[in-house]
Amino acid sequence: MSARLLFIDDEEGLLDLYERAFAREGFRVCRATTLDGGRALLEEGDIDLVVLDIRLAEGSGLTLLHEIKSRWPRLPVVLSTAFARYQDDFSSWLADAYVVKSSDLGELKQTVRACLERAR
Amino acid sequence: MTREQRWRVCRTQPRRGGNGGRRRRNGAQAPAPAQVVAAVRRVSHALETVLNPETAAWATLVGLTAGEGLRFNRAFLLRLHGERLEGWFGVGPRTREEGAALWHDLRQNGIDPLAGIDHPDAAVIQAEQQRHAPLLAALSCPLEDASCKWQRPLIVRRGHPVACVRHWLAVLGSDNLAVIPIVGAGQLWGVVLADNFINHRPIPPTILEAAATMAHALRAAVERIELLTRLSEEERRRITAEHAAAMLEAARTLAHDLKNPLALAGGLASELAQAVGEGQDDLARTLRAIGAAIRNAESRLEELVASLARGATGTSLTAVDVGEAVARVVAAFEPLAARRGVRLEFQGPEAPLIAAAVPSYLDRCLENLVGNALEALEAAHVSGGCVQVAVESSGDLVAVVVADNGPPLPMTMRMDPFSGGVSTRESGAGLGLASVQRLVHAMQGRVEYDDSLPGWVRFSILLRRWV
Repeated sequence: MSARLLFIDDEEGLLDLYERAFAREGFRVCRATTLDGGRALLEEGDIDLVVLDIRLAEGSGLTLLHEIKSRWPRLPVVLSTAFARYQDDFSSWLADAYVVKSSDLGELKQTVRACLERAR
Repeated sequence: MTREQRWRVCRTQPRRGGNGGRRRRNGAQAPAPAQVVAAVRRVSHALETVLNPETAAWATLVGLTAGEGLRFNRAFLLRLHGERLEGWFGVGPRTREEGAALWHDLRQNGIDPLAGIDHPDAAVIQAEQQRHAPLLAALSCPLEDASCKWQRPLIVRRGHPVACVRHWLAVLGSDNLAVIPIVGAGQLWGVVLADNFINHRPIPPTILEAAATMAHALRAAVERIELLTRLSEEERRRITAEHAAAMLEAARTLAHDLKNPLALAGGLASELAQAVGEGQDDLARTLRAIGAAIRNAESRLEELVASLARGATGTSLTAVDVGEAVARVVAAFEPLAARRGVRLEFQGPEAPLIAAAVPSYLDRCLENLVGNALEALEAAHVSGGCVQVAVESSGDLVAVVVADNGPPLPMTMRMDPFSGGVSTRESGAGLGLASVQRLVHAMQGRVEYDDSLPGWVRFSILLRRWV
């Protein structure tokens, strides 16, 4: 069965784009626009990788990153953000990978595949 | 240098020319008590408003040497630096001939050097310092145990048992030298040396006491100036740090607000270009062109954001021994805490904890937190007030905890104590905690507030360990 990816971002348009692009690559995609929505989907289980935005309207994605790594330490998390300097923030170092948002989804796709490979 | 400035360089008023000039009746006498008092007042008054240590030193030595002052032929100031007394400033002629010529000019042109101390001329002061530089360097010497014990001014002569005194007498070619120790907080701060090497006038005890009064006014002025300078520098650093933090936030916002829509538009254009069917080459080409243009805009934006962020982090983090830094700040607050009847306790780490920080930012944060704690205890009239400061390891972080047993923050502050604008003090603007947060963020750390332990308020600064 193909891997199931959870995208958490407060930009609906970007979630549409991710869904379209990754579904075409053969992944199963689920999405949340809020931290709570993401938590609910994680509780349901069957998530193989999370792509998480840092700066959400309601708060920081780094909070959820810490929660995920406390409860599901083996679940890969890819941080996806518009601001490259978050890589300097030690709070982001828990993530398995870090991708700067771009209209070219090539790097994100490559990173997701590499993280899934490592997690197997 | 102008002719008048040249005259003003020499502040001494020798009473006897080196070329056989007649002894002047007034000059041979020590200044009258009223003149001594007036001179001390004048110098003290001038020192109250001086904002530069060199100007303060110059004004004091002018007071010691001017004809309307204490009438020493020349005077020098040595300041303690580590284990050495270093020559710092000198006023007066270097030779009898120079003294005679300059004194003649002063008399001819009716110049009162003492009047000049209210309007210091930076060029004159600098010239005077340079003129005496070789002699000041020669006067510098190591500190001795005997000189550490000096409390009162004294007159020294050849054959003195203390080596540095013999050294000064030799360097100055003096046979009767006034040594005025300047003592602050029980420790030697500096020494003034003065003599009458031209007219050999005796130095009465009243003049010696007046000279000591001037010298101590100088120490107070220099310490005030240095404190103000340090505070101004701290303030400048704080403003720079806050400006940097604001720029970083601007970069973040710019990146978020512009990159997201660009990524979406460009991504969709690329997706559509791949999805269009055969026979729609023109459309596919157009979509790819749109995608390329958007990627170009993205890289330009990336450069702009990176440049803003670089500007924001002009200060780089260094390895800081947090226990040592905190101990130093706590020690500085101990006298204030004792005066307010507050117990200030410090619990250092068992082994050194090294964090990535900016030393001056960390100092400023601690000063704000400890200062706030003391203020809060005093404002609430807490008896048995206690401030506990601890440095401890917290996983990958180093935590500095400042806790006090004062009242918790007002309800209005508890939701976000670091937002600024609300203060526990009547006169406060509430910007102290906001400043702490900005500085800690600039060090890529975080600060937390906790009042869950009954009776205690805790602030924790969490910094990344230095790797």
